Amino acid sequence: MTAPRMACSHESLERFLDASATPEEESQLTVHLDGCPSCREALSRSAAGDLEWNDVKVWLTDDELDHAADVSRPGGSLEIFERRHPDETALVLSSLAPTDDPHSLGRLGTYEIVGVVGRGGFGVVLKAHDRALNRFVAIKVLAPHLAASASARRRFAREAQAAAAVVHENVVAIHAVSEREGPPYLVMEYVRGESLQRRIDRVGPFGTAEILRVGHQVAAGLAAAHAQGLVHRDVKPANILLEEGVERLKLTDFGLARAADDASLTRTGAVSGTPQYMSPEQARGESIDARSDLFSLGSALYAMAAGRPPFRAETSLAVLRRITDEQARPLQEIVPELPDWLAALIAKLHAKEANARFDSAADVARVFGDCLAHLQDPAKTPLPEEASRLVAKRRRALFDRKQMLAIIGGASVLLVSGAIAFATVAALNAPGHEEGSAESSSMNENVPKLVGGTATEPLSHQDADDWGDVDAESLESIRNDVDRLEAESVRLFDRP
Amino acid sequence: MNETVDTRDSLLARVRDPADREAWQEFVAVYWPVAYRLARRAGLQDADAQDLAQQTLLAVSQAVERWERREPGVRFRGWLRTIARNAILNALTRAPRDRARGGSSGVEILAARPGRDERLTESLELERRREMFRYAARQVEHEVDAATWEIFRRTTTLGQSCERAAKEMGKSVGAVYAARSRVMKRLRQRVVELDSGELEGESPMNGPAGEESR
Repeated sequence: MTAPRMACSHESLERFLDASATPEEESQLTVHLDGCPSCREALSRSAAGDLEWNDVKVWLTDDELDHAADVSRPGGSLEIFERRHPDETALVLSSLAPTDDPHSLGRLGTYEIVGVVGRGGFGVVLKAHDRALNRFVAIKVLAPHLAASASARRRFAREAQAAAAVVHENVVAIHAVSEREGPPYLVMEYVRGESLQRRIDRVGPFGTAEILRVGHQVAAGLAAAHAQGLVHRDVKPANILLEEGVERLKLTDFGLARAADDASLTRTGAVSGTPQYMSPEQARGESIDARSDLFSLGSALYAMAAGRPPFRAETSLAVLRRITDEQARPLQEIVPELPDWLAALIAKLHAKEANARFDSAADVARVFGDCLAHLQDPAKTPLPEEASRLVAKRRRALFDRKQMLAIIGGASVLLVSGAIAFATVAALNAPGHEEGSAESSSMNENVPKLVGGTATEPLSHQDADDWGDVDAESLESIRNDVDRLEAESVRLFDRP
Repeated sequence: MNETVDTRDSLLARVRDPADREAWQEFVAVYWPVAYRLARRAGLQDADAQDLAQQTLLAVSQAVERWERREPGVRFRGWLRTIARNAILNALTRAPRDRARGGSSGVEILAARPGRDERLTESLELERRREMFRYAARQVEHEVDAATWEIFRRTTTLGQSCERAAKEMGKSVGAVYAARSRVMKRLRQRVVELDSGELEGESPMNGPAGEESR
């Protein structure tokens, strides 16, 4: 190299790095660097410290986790709802053993596969003929891509064991489980007929009696599962199989069901379940119990009555948001002819707070059964007390709640601050409600919070909707250091 | 059920200010992997970790809707970061009870030990920095010419010496040093820019310099 030697200059190195050097300077420096190891060192150090050079080398190298979730794709992998496996069915069918039966697509174990029923949460459902017992069965085959994962296999086996333990006329029976060579599969009772989902799509909204029949039977099936400590987790019209119309139905696809106390796996509900029928606690990814199924049942019954699910939106995520944040549109706005009490029963199933739903699926089954009896013979059978009480409560609730609290709040002010407050109380009292028996449990819950408050606090508290409490709760659990931003987020979480 | 959803867009629709939107995009690209990776390190399986990451985004998106620019000092980025950090920590410290038995043992021990929150916060910061650099790298890659980026790639992630890279690419050693240092500088600047939504007075751990203790 015969280029002119340039003196070492840190200043010019900096300019070079910032790309603020002139082209001439640049070419000079590049040549200089060729022959000057110490400037090369200086340039590297000026760009980043040794530690950071190393960090960047490590960070920019994909590791096994990047490959695992494909999160390293430009922009980040975000189609987390969109884990599609298009040729799953073909793959399963191609894995079948050959058969000599011309009507069969192939053989799986001792079963002759005669058709494809559909796709479930975990794989493909096939229709098969059981030669030994000369009956048709449904076989659910774990999707091959899942079968490759030990944890998915374990989960599948768990699902099978759990579901097999539930024996009830409203639950699809599990005949056998196979985990031998190839993808594991589950042999179930084959139910002729269509799903409630298809019926809704085909025929549209259902009448009162049909809704009650479905509600009663699904709740009965759920009660049997819950008695085994099993939460279905995926109650929806597509999983309700109508065997003989609505007279007899079976709940299927405990695809996500797990023993409720098997907390090890409770986290997975969110993505794998159908968002539209999820409970708020599922949508939030919280741990759930049997009452989550009751909410989903409420959504299914709502869909029966309205012809469409209660929480709809363009995207799964938006659906989840609606489930957690919004009340479903009152059924009677959509179906004015629906009896008050049925709307009230469904609304109770639909309570955002699990505590405010029915205590158990068995209760739901009983109440719906009683309501059905009433509907069939109103003269002899009165409407069950639960239902009539709900109607009364709902009517009162809309109008009464604020007024009542105003009175209670006002009364406490009266005791404390005397005459000035009196005018306020008088104004608040204007609608003239007596204090009443306060039978509404939601009111009882609220009362203690108000004691000792001022008149304005309880009222403004009441103005915030129920979800203000949840925000406060989630905030509480957010641990933090003494961080100014944190304080800010506290305020931001609160509704104005 | 075939839900085809672009989470990014659906979340983005909630962020109304265009500047905030950009911040949100960055945020999703950076924090989804952070949440996912931490969850995996904490012993969760792939699907569970993806759920956790999704739940975190969901939680944050709920908060975003309530975001208002109330005080000039608080920027969306910084606010978002705090919310996200809390959501992730929250999800992860709630996780052990829900975790698959027989999961990776090291982290379970870690989770069971007192002071795990500090450690978790530390890992979170590390993962966050990693994702910030990866995000910045994707941008810088498109801002420099292909040869320059290739030099940087070879001499960092591929671990080639500058001399070898120079030889293989037909460049002078000086040019290789120059190119990789420039890319590095730019990368770091970009990360500082990404971080610039921070309030002053954050812990030094979060600082842009990168040479801090770990």
